[in-house]
Amino acid sequence: MGYYNIQEEKVFNSGHAACPGCSEALAIRYIINTLGPDSIGVVPPSCIAIISGPQPLSSMRMPVYQTTLEASAASATGISRALKAKGNDHTNVVVIAGDGGTYDIGFQSLSSAAERNEDFIYVCLDNEGYMNTGAQKSSSTPYLAYTTSTPSGKPTPKKNLAEIMAAHRIPYVATATTGYPEDLARKVARAKELKGTGLRFILVLTPCLDGWGVADHAGPKTSRLAVETGVFPLYEVEYGERYTLNFGSKGTPVQAYLSQQSRYKHLRPEQIQEIQSQVDANWERLRERFSVP
Amino acid sequence: MPEVIKEVPPIWTTGWTDILNTGTWRSAVPVHKKRPAPCHKACPVEGEIPVWTQLVKAEKYQEAWLALAANNPFPAVTGRVCHHPCEGSCNRGEYDGAVAINALEHYVGDLALQEGWSLPKPEKEREQRVLVIGAGPAGLSCAYRLRLEGYQVTVFEEKPEAGGVLRYGIPQYRLPKAVLAGEIKRLQELGISIETGRRFESYELEQYEQEYDAVFLAIGAGKAKSLPQFPSDKRVLNGLEFLARANQNDTIALGQQVVVVGGGSVAMDVARTARRLGSYVTVLALEDGEHLPAQTDEVTGALEEGIAITGGAMVQEVQSSERGLGLACVKVNLDPEAPPGVLKPVVVPGSEFSLIADQVILAIGQDPETDVWNHLLPVKQTLFQIKPDFSTDRPGVFAGGDDASAERYVSSAIGQGKMAARSIARYLTGGSGSVDEEIVSLEEPVPFKDINTFYFPSQSRDYKGTTAAEQRVRDFSEVKTGFSSDQALAQAERCFSCGSCIECDNCFYFCPDMAVVKDATLEEHYRILDQYCKGCGSCVEECPRGAVVLKEESR
Repeated sequence: MGYYNIQEEKVFNSGHAACPGCSEALAIRYIINTLGPDSIGVVPPSCIAIISGPQPLSSMRMPVYQTTLEASAASATGISRALKAKGNDHTNVVVIAGDGGTYDIGFQSLSSAAERNEDFIYVCLDNEGYMNTGAQKSSSTPYLAYTTSTPSGKPTPKKNLAEIMAAHRIPYVATATTGYPEDLARKVARAKELKGTGLRFILVLTPCLDGWGVADHAGPKTSRLAVETGVFPLYEVEYGERYTLNFGSKGTPVQAYLSQQSRYKHLRPEQIQEIQSQVDANWERLRERFSVP
Repeated sequence: MPEVIKEVPPIWTTGWTDILNTGTWRSAVPVHKKRPAPCHKACPVEGEIPVWTQLVKAEKYQEAWLALAANNPFPAVTGRVCHHPCEGSCNRGEYDGAVAINALEHYVGDLALQEGWSLPKPEKEREQRVLVIGAGPAGLSCAYRLRLEGYQVTVFEEKPEAGGVLRYGIPQYRLPKAVLAGEIKRLQELGISIETGRRFESYELEQYEQEYDAVFLAIGAGKAKSLPQFPSDKRVLNGLEFLARANQNDTIALGQQVVVVGGGSVAMDVARTARRLGSYVTVLALEDGEHLPAQTDEVTGALEEGIAITGGAMVQEVQSSERGLGLACVKVNLDPEAPPGVLKPVVVPGSEFSLIADQVILAIGQDPETDVWNHLLPVKQTLFQIKPDFSTDRPGVFAGGDDASAERYVSSAIGQGKMAARSIARYLTGGSGSVDEEIVSLEEPVPFKDINTFYFPSQSRDYKGTTAAEQRVRDFSEVKTGFSSDQALAQAERCFSCGSCIECDNCFYFCPDMAVVKDATLEEHYRILDQYCKGCGSCVEECPRGAVVLKEESR
């Protein structure tokens, strides 16, 4: 693996308050270091707010607006339009929000901004729960995963946000994860390049070491297993139509992914089989979208 | 009371987090560290295998050869005849097949001969003289290492040509003479003087001890063992003599039916040579067919060539007649209770059978001719008694190779020659300097679990080509064909480079704290920023090859 496509500018600082080995910190590194200092960040309450602080210090060498949990996309809309009114066509506006602030609480403002095709980048760092407040379930929490509010496993499946965003027919939707830093950086660069076309949305799977119950060093490895088992395929969608697969299932049994995480340790073999069937069905459905050669 | 207007600053941030010291959170710190690869630990010459395979991968062939030759002056020879324990221990073996190290060595060794690359000259000349007795693999390896250090080295060889077992033992279909001659010539060009046809008698030792500063005895194991049930008859040959004659292209009339007694590498060489001379060959070995001491591909090669191998059998009696030698044989089992290294056959009652042979060739092992030396040097069970540094009881006299070890592999002899040279150099410099730093690494090799296989897409291993058996038995042409350059590159690509950093930058790119920095001035290429590293170990996990380790810290 080469890293020739990663062009980092030093925007993200060391000394931030993320946990040791944090996947979100690694993702933030490739998001803001790729966008560069001519960017304005919008961050709702989340781990990202902690990582970008603590006030009065900042880990991001760019202006960051900490908004309310429901209003990230609305805030970014305001900033983006204000910049345009001032004749600024170069500064990137980027929301970096968690899954709680995206799938649940910030969802209506995001959907409306997408419908209006507002010109900013929205990155959701998806760790599949309210991890900052002690691992409660969100609508991103996968089927049967343990959280403190779903002690016997979540009874409903994970909301498919990438497909929902693609259904808004915005210029760019991509999924990425921290085990593939070059792929992540390339997608951020692509989103940056598409400035002026409208809303660009990147969903980044960021395993929460504490919330998922994996070792401090296992973030990238867990993230790759999510891809190789077909749980979280990496792909891009342009205008809701053109699908491109980057990294998909290698046919690795989902058990390999689940067994790494203590949030799944209560699963019975038939439940693992059930998850496997769901993953297979989702993967098959997604595969149909990729352009036939 | 005047109204106080509290000014709200437009920007709340007053500084950056990089003034914080998140390094205090950690209890362990990553360390970039070269660790021994399992192939290197298994290699009898301590061959730094990951180093030269990476050079092959980078298509730096001459540098790869120099790295190879630094530990072994005979890459083209060992690329053919080494028993390659490296491949047996290769971590890739647990994944998708060991790296074809032996074939890569063969490729680089041949390239060096083709291109006429020469060995680096000694950096300085020294006046001290060393005499090496025996120009086999151990003797020449020792001579080479000492010459590299600038010592004046003379080698006495009894036979008309140098090479020892490589010249007179191993048949040409495994090791062509031109290959051996090329590698020996390179040693002579380095200034090693080889006096062939010069038998060294034990009584000369005292005189030569005066003339030379040190002596290395590497006389090999040239005396074939015999069996009492075989009569002294021209129809009974010993394997060493037979191979030596075949290797000098002597005409040997063997007759139609040849029986080879023995199950080791020499027995296979004898059987396959006899087959090439036109005979039908049966091998009788005490060990059962599955557990012959010969290397597997030698046994397979023999079977393909139509040689019959009867394992678990013993000759009890020999009847000599006009028609040939009548061998009364019996099936045996080896007593599993016997002490290690001792074969104790137990006859299977009622399993007698007989064979008629025009020629019997005994290949049941060989001993060094040490009996003439035992009044000068301690000898135990035919081997010179040496200390771990290869020295004998006589100051300045060292011994190694087959005359001091029962290991009996070409590469082991080369490795012993190398290590003996290190000790001789230390002796000659009064205990201080040495040929090179002692690399007696007590560290365990990198285990497979430390390899991150995500970074190594599955790629199957390749093997040397083999000429069809019916073609092979017609003459003594080489059986194995080496890799093409494409094959060599593809196979070098497969090396995990266990424990040796190749600057892939994974540790740099996977750090969430930007606490790993590249530093070209450092041998280990990277530095850990003490102020920021939280000790998560992502760099350790993401290092594909186990070249970063986590070290616990106590404060």
